[in-house]
Amino acid sequence: MNNFDLLDRTDTINGLLARYGVKFGIYKNGTFKEQLFPFDAIPRVIEKEEFAYLERGLKQRVAALNLFLKDIYNEKKIVKDGVVPEDFVYAASGYLVPCEGVTPPKGVFSHISGIDLVLGKDGVWYILEDNLRVPSGASYPMIARELCRRASPRTFNETPIEDNRNYAQLLKHTLDYVNTGGLSVVMTPGRYNAAYFEHSYLAEQMRVPLVTYSDLEVENDYLYFKGYAGRKERVGAVYRRISDEYMDPMTFNPESVIGVPHIFDVYRKGNVALLNAPGNGIADDKGIYYFVPKMIKYYLGEEPILHNAPTYLPFYEEDMKYVLEKFDTLVLKDVAEAGGYGVVFGSKMTKAEKEKFIAMLKAEPRRFIAQEVIDFCDIPIQDRGQVVERKVDLRAFVLTAEEPVVWKSGLTRFSRNPDSFIVNSSQGGGFKDTWVLSQ
Amino acid sequence: METLSFHYHLQIRFDQPVHDHHFTLRCFPQSDSRQRIDNLQTAVYPNEFITDSYDSFGNHCVMGRAGQPHNRFTADVTGVAFTGLSESVPAGNPWREHLFRQQTHLTYPDAQLVAFADSLPVYSSALDTAQAVMEAVADAIVYTSGVTNVDTTAAEAFALKKGVCQDYSHMMLSVLREQKIMARYVVGMLMGEGLSHAWVEVKDGDSWYGFDPTNRIRVSDQHIKISHGRDYRDCRINQGHFYGYGTQTQEISVSVQRKEA
Amino acid sequence: MGTKSVINTDRLYWLGRYSERVYTTLKLFGKSFDELIEQMTQTDYSKFCSTLEIPNIYTDKDDFIARYPFDPTDPNSIISNLTRAYDNAIELREEIGSEALSYIQMALYSMQKAKEDQAPAIEFQDVIDDILAFWGIVDDQIDDENTRNIIKVGKRVERLDLYARLKMSRVDINREVQRLAGRIDRCSLRYRTQSITELLDAVRAESLDYPAILKSVESILEV
Repeated sequence: MNNFDLLDRTDTINGLLARYGVKFGIYKNGTFKEQLFPFDAIPRVIEKEEFAYLERGLKQRVAALNLFLKDIYNEKKIVKDGVVPEDFVYAASGYLVPCEGVTPPKGVFSHISGIDLVLGKDGVWYILEDNLRVPSGASYPMIARELCRRASPRTFNETPIEDNRNYAQLLKHTLDYVNTGGLSVVMTPGRYNAAYFEHSYLAEQMRVPLVTYSDLEVENDYLYFKGYAGRKERVGAVYRRISDEYMDPMTFNPESVIGVPHIFDVYRKGNVALLNAPGNGIADDKGIYYFVPKMIKYYLGEEPILHNAPTYLPFYEEDMKYVLEKFDTLVLKDVAEAGGYGVVFGSKMTKAEKEKFIAMLKAEPRRFIAQEVIDFCDIPIQDRGQVVERKVDLRAFVLTAEEPVVWKSGLTRFSRNPDSFIVNSSQGGGFKDTWVLSQ
Repeated sequence: METLSFHYHLQIRFDQPVHDHHFTLRCFPQSDSRQRIDNLQTAVYPNEFITDSYDSFGNHCVMGRAGQPHNRFTADVTGVAFTGLSESVPAGNPWREHLFRQQTHLTYPDAQLVAFADSLPVYSSALDTAQAVMEAVADAIVYTSGVTNVDTTAAEAFALKKGVCQDYSHMMLSVLREQKIMARYVVGMLMGEGLSHAWVEVKDGDSWYGFDPTNRIRVSDQHIKISHGRDYRDCRINQGHFYGYGTQTQEISVSVQRKEA
Repeated sequence: MGTKSVINTDRLYWLGRYSERVYTTLKLFGKSFDELIEQMTQTDYSKFCSTLEIPNIYTDKDDFIARYPFDPTDPNSIISNLTRAYDNAIELREEIGSEALSYIQMALYSMQKAKEDQAPAIEFQDVIDDILAFWGIVDDQIDDENTRNIIKVGKRVERLDLYARLKMSRVDINREVQRLAGRIDRCSLRYRTQSITELLDAVRAESLDYPAILKSVESILEV
């Protein structure tokens, strides 16, 4: 494929990204800094057939996860039938008691799902993790596409690429579908949140208000947007980019000063939709990840289309034995941590570290999962004028209204460090556009 | 069976005015198989709105807002309870109620409390076991007010050997859950007691039975139940979120009297 | 007119004010800078400060040239005012649009670049261009009349405030008063009608009472 024209314009595109303030916030030594998110113009290309395969697998996975959430906060058939042990539910930090018995508007729990995948060198796609709480990142490829088209119209004229700039319409439809009457809004914790650019950009693109806690108020059984000079308008859907624990000091963390008191009561009464639903953390828990293929069989009666990375639960004796035996070849993850933290490689530990870790593992087996290290594909990036190979992952976005819809693009992140397998943007690294070919 | 009239009074004083005060009150007895509540009257002052809400345990809450600056906030709940209609209340979804087997931050036992739990007899019936646990807990602590607070854990109270009804209940929950018996925390009112009271419900078969470890008795027709949850934190009588620099003092008075015919 | 939050109404107004403050003070500084190149004495910049009613905290002319435009710790510096404009704009993306916001962002980049430059006047021109482009976009691309007008009211209020301090001519003051009076009713801002009446009277008076005009300007939003 001839993309030289586009590649020559990497600096131009990064300049445009700076112009539009495409940044993410980061705290370094206690002070807030805005950083540009480096863009690499070499696209990640996914063939039409390959994406169709991913699409089927992602829809299936998200459908099962939604059914799991509905079940776990209501009937709990999957626990009763012994597929998921109750300890993995009740002891998980993502399981929220106040969500018991609550079915969100239209029964949708995970409206916006960010599913992280990698392509192994064996040519197999593996799911690394599900993000069903507040997955971020769609705005970056969305605006990058806009700017790439400006910088190199020829490339897009010559290559049949699915347009990914429809994300805002898909998202708006998702909000409107579950809206219980009134405005749809985007709620941000504020300007100093890492993903503030995305919050404001998505609000702009959807043409809905961007609000913080101080703009919202509960009165009686409804939620209102408070306007200038005493105006008030009912809110029917909140795309909230604030985590469950901070959302409502009356139900969750009482210390929260960025939440809306009683918003959860309004939600419980079915008078406002919260996207994503509170309590989703139980489904994207690293411990529950192990059970997702089983869920797919259990709820849908289908074989999983997409694979998990081979995972072991030290909670099961047999798995514990395997983990201790093969410790040096595995990656271990603390189920309570996110964002690339709490991930350690057996091979990189000193003897003392290893002993300490194994003691911890034996004391709290439920706290960890172990996975085979997947040797995933390298993809070329431009680095100071040279093309070098780096690890990448792909965050696919699945939006669920009437049914799950996979956005025909995704966020491809790469690591700066040639030895690193961790491609999280909060740990350095940059991003690429993800092209899904239409022919 | 008894016919009891009750009055629950809550008053919060702020030494400086507060505003935009959102509150959730959880002090409303409900009818179930053990008790029937009649003529429930609620007065909350000040308020701009109040509305009913139910938490995930089914407890009746009243939520609302007092927007204007105020130094004082009061709630009064009165009514009549016909108690002792049954010795138990029916269970709900068993799989959901397995939740009551899990320890919480407040009930999580330390090594001493685990050893204590291990030293107690386990019977085939949960009720028999609970009876033994209740008696052992009642023997292990001396009722003493002012030495523990709402954040005191079961393990801490056990080490102190002192506490109030909340501590007795948390200890009993801790031991029962260690024995994999489902048990939950209950807030209510007791005849002759001027404050709100706490006890424990234990699941046996398809029903929940009340045990009052503070008084070393099974729950009787003198008890009026208000709410239940995993521990104290699920049953907070009053939660508030407000703006202002005031420090608050909370005052609760409860009166339960046999209703004269 | 859709519901607009209290805080965004406030931000739009202050975005208008700060963008105007940067624009006018930068032009004014450009003029002084030119004079300072060879002839202005050590103390002449003090006149600049007293006209704008900002404290003269500068040790000498070089200090003035270095700090008045660029010192982020001086609350009266041009970059501080530009940063305030940016701080308001960054939280208004969905109100004003990414395109309008990008010009405030670029003005800030240009200002940061000017600081490093021996000939900052070149980048000052970029900053002025960016602000003019920003106002052009506000006029041209913001569909919501209320949003547009709140920014413009902020801009007019600030300009009147500066013009009164600079004791500009009746023609200039009168033009700004008429523009403000014609605009302020066309947005959701609540304002003190008395202040507008006072301003309209002031420009008709025989001699211009600048302190009184300033007072009226300052009280416009006091309702």
